[in-house]
Amino acid sequence: MRILLDKFTKKFSDLTVIDEMDLEVRDGEMIALLGGSGCGKSTTLFSICGIHKVNGGRILFGDKDVTNVTSQERNVGVVFQSFALYPHLTVENNIGFPLKLRKESKAEIKRKVDEIAEMVHIEPLLQRRPGELSGGQQQRVALARALIRRPDVLLLDEPLANLDATLRLEMRSEIRRIQQETGITAVLVTHDQVEAMSMCDRIAIMDAGKIIQIAKPRDMYENPVSDYVAGFLGSPPIAFLTGQVQDGNFVEPSTGTKMPLSAEIAASQSGRQVKVGIRPEYFQPDGATKIAGTVSFMESQGRETLYNVTLPDGSILRSIQGVHDPVHIGDRVEWGVDSAEMMVFDMNGLRL
Amino acid sequence: MGNSKYLGLYLLAPAGVFVFLFFLAPVILTAVFGFTNMSTATGISGGSYVASQSSMLALRDRYGLDDISEQLTTVRYTIDEEGLAAALEAGADPATVNELGDTFLGQSYETRRDVERAIKTLNARPSSVRAIKAIAGQFERSVANTRYETEDEILGAIAEFGIELTETESAAIIDVTYTGWVFTTQNFKTMFSLPDTKKTMINTLFYVFTTLILFNVGFALVLAISTHYMDSGPAGFFRSVWLLPRITPPVLYVLMWKWLAWDSGFLSVMLEPLGFEPRNWMLDSPTNAWTFIILINGMVGASMGMLIFSSAIKAIPEALFHASEVDGATRRQQIWHIIMPQLRWPILFITSYQTLSLLTSFEYILLATDGGPGGATEVWALTTYLKALSNYGGALQYGYGAALSLVLVVIGITLSLIYLKVFNFKDLTAKPKIE
Ligand SMILES: Nc1ncnc2c1ncn2[C@@H]1O[C@H](COP(=O)(O)OP(=O)(O)O)[C@@H](O)[C@H]1O
Ligand SMILES: [Mg+2]
Repeated sequence: MRILLDKFTKKFSDLTVIDEMDLEVRDGEMIALLGGSGCGKSTTLFSICGIHKVNGGRILFGDKDVTNVTSQERNVGVVFQSFALYPHLTVENNIGFPLKLRKESKAEIKRKVDEIAEMVHIEPLLQRRPGELSGGQQQRVALARALIRRPDVLLLDEPLANLDATLRLEMRSEIRRIQQETGITAVLVTHDQVEAMSMCDRIAIMDAGKIIQIAKPRDMYENPVSDYVAGFLGSPPIAFLTGQVQDGNFVEPSTGTKMPLSAEIAASQSGRQVKVGIRPEYFQPDGATKIAGTVSFMESQGRETLYNVTLPDGSILRSIQGVHDPVHIGDRVEWGVDSAEMMVFDMNGLRL
Repeated sequence: MGNSKYLGLYLLAPAGVFVFLFFLAPVILTAVFGFTNMSTATGISGGSYVASQSSMLALRDRYGLDDISEQLTTVRYTIDEEGLAAALEAGADPATVNELGDTFLGQSYETRRDVERAIKTLNARPSSVRAIKAIAGQFERSVANTRYETEDEILGAIAEFGIELTETESAAIIDVTYTGWVFTTQNFKTMFSLPDTKKTMINTLFYVFTTLILFNVGFALVLAISTHYMDSGPAGFFRSVWLLPRITPPVLYVLMWKWLAWDSGFLSVMLEPLGFEPRNWMLDSPTNAWTFIILINGMVGASMGMLIFSSAIKAIPEALFHASEVDGATRRQQIWHIIMPQLRWPILFITSYQTLSLLTSFEYILLATDGGPGGATEVWALTTYLKALSNYGGALQYGYGAALSLVLVVIGITLSLIYLKVFNFKDLTAKPKIE
């Protein structure tokens, strides 16, 4: 079911955490709310499920205005960051809890619990208590409990944050699989861009209570609207250089390196200060526009190696390369930038 | 490494001494005293031997030695050195005393008249009848009402008196004339035979469980849960208000209740226009007395449960409340399914703790009704106090009081064990419930 936030505003006493946010989550879509800690992701999520009362604007599920509907009656499934399983109940009773509250028959509950347990692969665990489960198992139980009522929407608050690295990888695809199998509309809150990019149909990136950009992961990666978005997506992250536009080129001040710009930008920004973003994959030994610097940091990521190259004025470029002839920290290198892939931002951070 | 095992014990040793002195020793002493007949009459150290009226009564009742009791209480007159000396001391004419000694020393008489007759035969007899009677009085002899320090002394005195005793008779006399305390199970026999005992026990159980269920647990739960759903400001205010009785000195606190209930107090004044006679509402009837007693204790007792339950509810992760909300739980369902299961241990704790403290507490009852009207609100602990430590007659029955306390200890332990069973203690401690 579609979710629509219309000028949704949320305050905690004097503090306005979310200010007139508009957001549409399409039916059957999984969208990520991505942003740094404290930017209001959980607040948004809790408002969608009704735990928080909103201070302004509307929330619609489908065409129904649920702004003033209690969370008990919104029919949402939520997976909390801490999983929030009921410690005194068995897994079976945890999952069946929402149905028990609605006084469904024991047999009916049992049938539905078994069905959902099969979907999230926890059939052997039904008689255990949460304290006897691993993090990943708790995660699956929390998912099952959220889904058993066939909710209109599924909300996940940092569902992977409490898992270790391998489980995170496994649960990433599991959650996505279950979401796609059920076709449920889902909102995933996360601060991890990899999670957002790998699990979701679209990403809404947030900063200080505002949505900066909504797009498909690939589009957002390739076409960020601001340096904030560009910096958030991609690992290792994009590197920024500041310099002037002269004669159709971006001139790096400390080396004087000239990087060609597109005609429109060259024309409109002539003589101005701009910021260019260069992703590590576009700064390579065989790149076209050579720039020289010193290798200041190296990190092997197995198949690839990440290098930081420091320019004379201290600004840094990053490069990620397959394994080749050894380069050492302190070596002077002259690698090339693929200037066609460079992103140009004005000094306020807006993409040009 | 081997030493470190005992290090803790060494460190705890001073504490152990205090635990023994102030916790264990009193319990042990209570148990021991419970099996004695200690009282103000016996004292708490050893005693002596006196053929008192009550001991003679015991000799007849318990041993059927009526004739011996008769003989021991019989008065005789014997002319002996002691009597002569006493007569001189009392100011009798030495000539009379000397002649009496010379003539009749060693003579025994049944009655005073016989002695007087003998004195009259003397040459140096006093002229006045009063003086003769006074001298005769000095020779009155009886085993009864004389204090002897040892068994041998009293038996010797009896033998000297001319009463021959068998071995069993001697033992019986020693038993009944001993004034110190002895070990006995009499306290418990008395306790179980008195009709008041049963009434007091019923009162006690009624008092403990009514206060416990209505206030110390029930109302405390209501307060803790309702303040949980309030904003923090009003919640804090409410909790503080309920702490006030706890921190008011009991005497003042009860005085306020008494003022409320006096025949010229608040209730009387308020109810008079409605056609109710002014009266002491607290002592008006047993029902009223109980109502006040339970309110007085409950208002004080609820605060502790409230604090414990409130903090236990605070310890429940907020996400559990959120989760249950989106799972569709109404507030009532939330209380039942989320809060109550997490309060099992605190409820057990408060129930046991408050049972014990209610069982042994009587100060509010003492101050409010003193067990009245007519013993209607007398509870076990109050009886114990009255018997052992505060009797208007001045006869304090320490032994009986200790026996009464011992019963409370046994009841307390029994109830605690039952609670542990009911609340399934093993299950409670086996696994952590909140990770
Ligand atoms: N219950 C609350 N009361 C007051 N302030 C809150 C409350 N919950 C969140 N906030 C504030 O709102 C902001 C956004 O919080 P949140 O939505 O939890 O951020 P995140 O994006 O990390 O999930 C933070 O500054 C936080 O301090
Ligand atoms: Mg959060």
